[in-house]
Amino acid sequence: MHMHKLERIWLIFGTSCLVIFLTVIGVSAFYLGNKPPSCLTTVNPETVGQEKPFNEPGLHKVDGKDWEYELVFVASTFSYSPAQVEVPLGAKVKVIATTKDVIHGFEVAGTNINMMLEPGYISEYTTTFNKAGEYLIVCNEYCGAGHHLMYSKIEVVK
Amino acid sequence: MAKTELNTKQKTEIDDRSSLKGTLASVFFLGIFIIVTWVSVYYLFVDRF
Repeated sequence: MHMHKLERIWLIFGTSCLVIFLTVIGVSAFYLGNKPPSCLTTVNPETVGQEKPFNEPGLHKVDGKDWEYELVFVASTFSYSPAQVEVPLGAKVKVIATTKDVIHGFEVAGTNINMMLEPGYISEYTTTFNKAGEYLIVCNEYCGAGHHLMYSKIEVVK
Repeated sequence: MAKTELNTKQKTEIDDRSSLKGTLASVFFLGIFIIVTWVSVYYLFVDRF
């Protein structure tokens, strides 16, 4: 097949870019185990308040797991429980969150923690809090009249 | 009877003189822009917790 020399160059360039980008995504998913925050773990939204671990929102130390702490959040119109929480610097934490009523967002501003909370589903994200500071949690899914008033805070302290 | 022209020695001329330098330059311009934005967003992702 006849192909112009320059045409061959940009086809190789484009194809290799595609291969590199897809490899990075593949390594992230299959080797590092990154996945969407909600992986089909379910909970009855009407009895969230009584079920473990959502009966005690907040930070809990756990043993024998890949992470040291579990940070449990329950969202409802128009607040998060707990409204403020302290996390020790350098702690490996699994953030576990769900909602009691409608769809809420869970975005810890300035970090990669950004999940959608759907009624009936549990969203999780495991990370190491390795930068001290105060982080604002905001709802980024429009949930009703008080949507803009919905926030919480994580303080990463030494 | 009509004579078939299967054995003619005629060659198809391919005009290879058209310059594609401008196209190559714009492809690389766009490609490098995409790579730079992709890498910077990826860096942001890796740098945050």
